Amino acid sequence: MESVWGLGGLVLLRDSVEWEGRSLLKALVKKSALCGEQVHILGCEVSEDEFREGFDSSINSRLVYHDLFRDPFNWSQAGEALPGGPLGALRALCRRTEPGPVTIALDSLSWLLLHLPCTTLCQALCALSQQHSPLGGSPPVEPVRVLGLLHMELHGPGPMGALSSLAQTEVTLSGTAGQALAHILCQRPRQHPTHQTQCFSILPDFSLDLQEGPLLESQPHPDPHIPPVEPTTHLTFNLNLSKKEREAKDSLTLPFQFSSEKQQALLRPGPSQATSNIFYEPDVYDDLDQEDPDDDLDV
Amino acid sequence: MAAAATCGTSAGNKGCTAAAAAAAGGKNNVTSFQRKGPRASVPDSGCARLVSIAGTRPSVRNGQLLVSTGLPALDQLLGGGLAVGTVLLIEEDKYNIYSSLLFKYFLAEGVINGHTLLVASAKEDPADILQELPAPLLDDNCKKDFDEDVGNHKTPESNIKMKIAWRYQLLPKMEPGPVSSSRFGHYYDLSKRMPQELIETSKWHGFFFPEKLSPTLNIEPCSLTHGYIKLLQFIQNVIYEEGFDGSNPQKKQKNILRIGIQNLGSPLWGDDICCTENCDNSHSLTKFLYVLRGLLRTSLSACIITMPTHLIQNKAIIARVTNLSDTVVGLESFIGSERETNPLYKDYHGLIHIRQIPRLNNLIYDVSDVKDLAFKLKRKLFTIERLHLPPDLSDTVSRSSKQIPAASSRLLGQECGVMAGGRKHLDF
Repeated sequence: MESVWGLGGLVLLRDSVEWEGRSLLKALVKKSALCGEQVHILGCEVSEDEFREGFDSSINSRLVYHDLFRDPFNWSQAGEALPGGPLGALRALCRRTEPGPVTIALDSLSWLLLHLPCTTLCQALCALSQQHSPLGGSPPVEPVRVLGLLHMELHGPGPMGALSSLAQTEVTLSGTAGQALAHILCQRPRQHPTHQTQCFSILPDFSLDLQEGPLLESQPHPDPHIPPVEPTTHLTFNLNLSKKEREAKDSLTLPFQFSSEKQQALLRPGPSQATSNIFYEPDVYDDLDQEDPDDDLDV
Repeated sequence: MAAAATCGTSAGNKGCTAAAAAAAGGKNNVTSFQRKGPRASVPDSGCARLVSIAGTRPSVRNGQLLVSTGLPALDQLLGGGLAVGTVLLIEEDKYNIYSSLLFKYFLAEGVINGHTLLVASAKEDPADILQELPAPLLDDNCKKDFDEDVGNHKTPESNIKMKIAWRYQLLPKMEPGPVSSSRFGHYYDLSKRMPQELIETSKWHGFFFPEKLSPTLNIEPCSLTHGYIKLLQFIQNVIYEEGFDGSNPQKKQKNILRIGIQNLGSPLWGDDICCTENCDNSHSLTKFLYVLRGLLRTSLSACIITMPTHLIQNKAIIARVTNLSDTVVGLESFIGSERETNPLYKDYHGLIHIRQIPRLNNLIYDVSDVKDLAFKLKRKLFTIERLHLPPDLSDTVSRSSKQIPAASSRLLGQECGVMAGGRKHLDF
């Protein structure tokens, strides 16, 4: 989980109906607030009170809450709602200029996907998570961490794939028998993606309790029904030679190799092989023409 | 298809017919064949002479002007290189690791040869992309690095010279050794960055789409996505102003424009083919490619495009995009797939598929006969090798699928049919 924290960029928290992710989101928000970072929350799905519930007052005072739940379309025109709707709120977050590390929590990305066109949302997320300063060559900006809660069942493969390609880290929540598991896929830019699985649980005060459980580097285990392919099992020849066999093989002279002994043997007409004899029994269909067909050639 | 072609950019001297030399030398004006060359009286001298531009060479097959893709192994597979005026489409692998490497090789080759670059991206700033180009391997230390890289992976058995199949040692190897820096393809060291002074002396234009996107613009619906229109206008401006299409005649020194477009078709360009299956303007990408190809054909430029085709939801669009591009190379990496643990693929990082090669001024394709290729990312090099699969010798495989005797028994006459129909396999 520390690797999640080290990287900036977009972190997707993919949850489902069985394993909800809002508590993990709140735990991560609490963790970054305790680290002293600025925390902005764009709340769309639940009310502000419900989100702030469970946090103690010190953390609550550090959270900057942008409320889209109460009046998303600005119907009340009381001036409290965020101008520009969800897209305006996202763009306003892009434009904030306070220095220091910042965490932006989007609760939830699914709501935004349903209300905004996917391409616009992707462009806004990319601009949010890559906050390079407009002046080129300046020192690297503090990492911006964007936590987005995404409900996996609500979206088809298209938007999920598009968001996954943008994300630096993807945390998929699942679990077995009451134990929550997080599959974390970290993709550092230009490096191979790393995959790990972590057991965790959220305590009532939204602290994250990472359990030592099976912290496996999850490898796809080979299917037990299909044994791994071993191509050398049923060969009719021997691929592994012992040392003696290898020596015997090396010392063997091959038929086409024209060694000196062979040359001498051929040059010297041996007693047993004066001429090479061809034994031929003419077949009944054979055309025995005693004339040499090559006689008329001027060779 | 040995790529041991005559290198160098010799202007003219394309001996077009073999008879020309004999005929023109001996008798006067007996034949109408004339040897093409600078001495021949050709009315339009522009087309008879080959343009000699740095970093290009004519193809051995049809004289088409080629540029290197930056990876000599890929050049060999594409028939010598990428033709000027064509589009090389790279279908990205899932995490965009290897396709971005090919993209950088292409740009690095342009920097080395002094070509003008045009880098367009919606995700990364082009200046950052150029900072990450690999450093070129020059003559003296490249051979050492190359051999040490190859030698580390050599197995002891391969050092034995072949005694029985000795003729196979004479076959040309898949990847020729490093060539000198003035030749066609160059080698790059991925562990080092390109020196800053080389990047600064190169001429490049960058197109970073989020900068051009003004947030207050009300995007009116039209046939092409807003991002694509802007990109096409940008490319057209550069081609026109810098004279790559011959429009500025005072430019004497001809040069090639290398265009690199990253992640085309992703949602960051404003195109939603990756998001939905039935999108509103599903033709905008195909129209973009069509117009782009028209721009390229009329100018001295070559373009590389990387596209995340694994995200495109509508498969018909992928087929159309393939048809509209000239050369299409697909990368399939093993990361995260079940092939990662397959022992057949353990030495490699992925497969490379050459999906399409263009027919330029030709009636036949230049396809190489090697169909199964795999790539491997070593510490310093990206290599493409032929995938040697061991023979599949299990008893159940494919012997029974050869139903040849059953079909031939119908063709054979009655007297033979009994014999052939009785056996199920032909087993030699």
